[in-house]
Amino acid sequence: MKAVSEFLDRILNIQTSDPDDTRRRRLLNILMLGMFVSGLVGTVVVTIDALTLKSLGGTGSQLLLPTAAIIMVGVLILYYINRHSGRWAAFLFLLLLTAAFSLSDTPDQLANGRSLFVYAFPVAISSLILFPTASFIFAAIGGAIITWLAISVSIFPNIPAIIGFFMLALVSWLSSRTLEQALKDLRSINAELDHRVMVRTRELSDALSRETIEAGRREAILNSIADGVIVFDSNGAAILANPSITALINKPREKIIGSGFNDLLDSDEVKVGDRDNAATLLEKSAQDLSNFRMEWGKRTVSINAARVLDHHHLSIGTVAVLRDITHDAELERMKDTFLAIVSHELRTPLNAILGYAEMLIESVYGQINEKQKNVSTRIMTNTRRLLDIVSDLLDQTQIEAGKLKIRVVPCRPAELLDNLYGIMEKSASDKGIALSTELDQSMPPVIMGDPQRLQQIMINLANNAVKFTDQGNVRVRVHPGDDGKNWQMQVIDTGKGVPEDAMESIFEAFRQLESVSTREQGGFGLGLSIVKQLVELMEGKITVESEVEKGSTFTVTLPLIVGEVTMSQSQPFSGG
Amino acid sequence: MKELALVIEDDEDLSEIFGQALTAANYEIEIIRDGAVAQERLKKVLPVVVILDMHIPHVSGVTLLKQIQADARLAATRVVVATADAQIGESLRTEATLVLIKPISFIQLRDLSSRLHLLKS
Repeated sequence: MKAVSEFLDRILNIQTSDPDDTRRRRLLNILMLGMFVSGLVGTVVVTIDALTLKSLGGTGSQLLLPTAAIIMVGVLILYYINRHSGRWAAFLFLLLLTAAFSLSDTPDQLANGRSLFVYAFPVAISSLILFPTASFIFAAIGGAIITWLAISVSIFPNIPAIIGFFMLALVSWLSSRTLEQALKDLRSINAELDHRVMVRTRELSDALSRETIEAGRREAILNSIADGVIVFDSNGAAILANPSITALINKPREKIIGSGFNDLLDSDEVKVGDRDNAATLLEKSAQDLSNFRMEWGKRTVSINAARVLDHHHLSIGTVAVLRDITHDAELERMKDTFLAIVSHELRTPLNAILGYAEMLIESVYGQINEKQKNVSTRIMTNTRRLLDIVSDLLDQTQIEAGKLKIRVVPCRPAELLDNLYGIMEKSASDKGIALSTELDQSMPPVIMGDPQRLQQIMINLANNAVKFTDQGNVRVRVHPGDDGKNWQMQVIDTGKGVPEDAMESIFEAFRQLESVSTREQGGFGLGLSIVKQLVELMEGKITVESEVEKGSTFTVTLPLIVGEVTMSQSQPFSGG
Repeated sequence: MKELALVIEDDEDLSEIFGQALTAANYEIEIIRDGAVAQERLKKVLPVVVILDMHIPHVSGVTLLKQIQADARLAATRVVVATADAQIGESLRTEATLVLIKPISFIQLRDLSSRLHLLKS
């Protein structure tokens, strides 16, 4: 059945660039096939009839066989023309049909009798197999033929029939035109649809290839970075792990994938406390725990976590990044050890130099002359400078490492000022500067704070003031703040002052106004930086007001907590 | 007769300086550079002042400080802790008579030790 259908399609279909033309030619082929089969059936019937009834001699039968043969041959010729020359075949077919009809009956029957209707046939089909308006041509031809035939047999032409032909042509034209328009619209919709499908397919294909490239790129990045990366889904199960992580936490990739946070952390290599913190960090992506540092076996790792959000800002998972900071941690430990050694091993010989120089000056080993005394004093001064630098460096390092702790114990502002005076008076008077201390009477006698560090702040500021003042005075004042919640320490000098543009940077580490000054005045540029950091650790603030060549006022404002008056405190003996 | 002062300090130079400061402050001095030796000596002698370094070989300064505090015989002994570590110094401030953070000046120690005579009287 399928083979028959395919065969019919092959012989009936004529492919052209115009789909209307194709449809018309196929329709013509169908008509001609019908005629050919009719011819064939007619021939067979006549032949069987003749053979069985032995009546082949009848006039009807004699005419039928050649007619069938002519029809079949004509159909084959027209089929050939239809395949190769297009529209002419349909035109010829219709003309021949009309001609054949005109010979099929007597003229009076054709003009006004039983065969009149045959001319309606070409009118009806011409608009389907030729073009819509062709029905009018064949209505006209049909009309002309019956008029001529009527005249030839001397009867009046059948006008209503002719009008009927034209009416039929009109209907035929309208319907085939509508059909063609509908088909045209359908084709245009189809074409539009095809176009859309094509564009969409291309877009999808592009997106897919972009996605593939992007995924490849991401994977290459993940695989090449030194940090360990694990991606967890919203249920907390690992769905992605890069090669670095396997080396970092000592687990093969396949064991990581599918594991939850706790499975990964549940290891002998992780301490229990660290485990809890890391789990919290991973589960909550807690920002305050970012850069969480923990020991993982022999390694030190720093963990960071971030949520992956969808376009509704809902969490669809977590990305954890583990960085191996073993080397950094080791360096830090070495630095700490180095600093501890420096702290002890450097101070001890410096202490010895200082002590011997003092002993020389104090004539412990016998009288020395003035020159020798001066040299010994120079040795002492320089050794003290060196000791100050060592102390500042150690303080700075401790502050940077967050290891410097501020104590809160009772301390007496009066003692802080007395100690300061004792320590600074000589260096001030040596420069010809008047040093004075003032304690406001309304200041509580005992406050809570860190006496050692408060003393250090005071000494550093006063030392700085003396250093940058060539004449005039340095005043150190301690008084309560305006609001009763704070107290203030002010160091006022009549020195060089700080230029406007340097105000911002004077509290930065290793910064002093001019390198020349640094060399002239001594120091390392750490004093003010340490003061600021200590003040901030005490939850206070430091401000500076200054006028070049007139002087500066450094004001430290600290929270005031009144201490117990009864407590007796021994103050630290500072080396200065 | 001069009062006895023990200088327990392993550094040769510092022990010399501390010793000289105490001598200048009119003390009879004895310098000990080893913790174990100091431990034994403290059982036998009755110093008025002990200058005590925290980092000394064999027995630590903290142990020696506790030994002195626990010994009723040494109740009147003034202990001056000498340390380079400010934090250790802070933690011992209530235990010792004085805490001096290194660098310790010769003059400072001499003058302080002199005052300890007065404190006793």
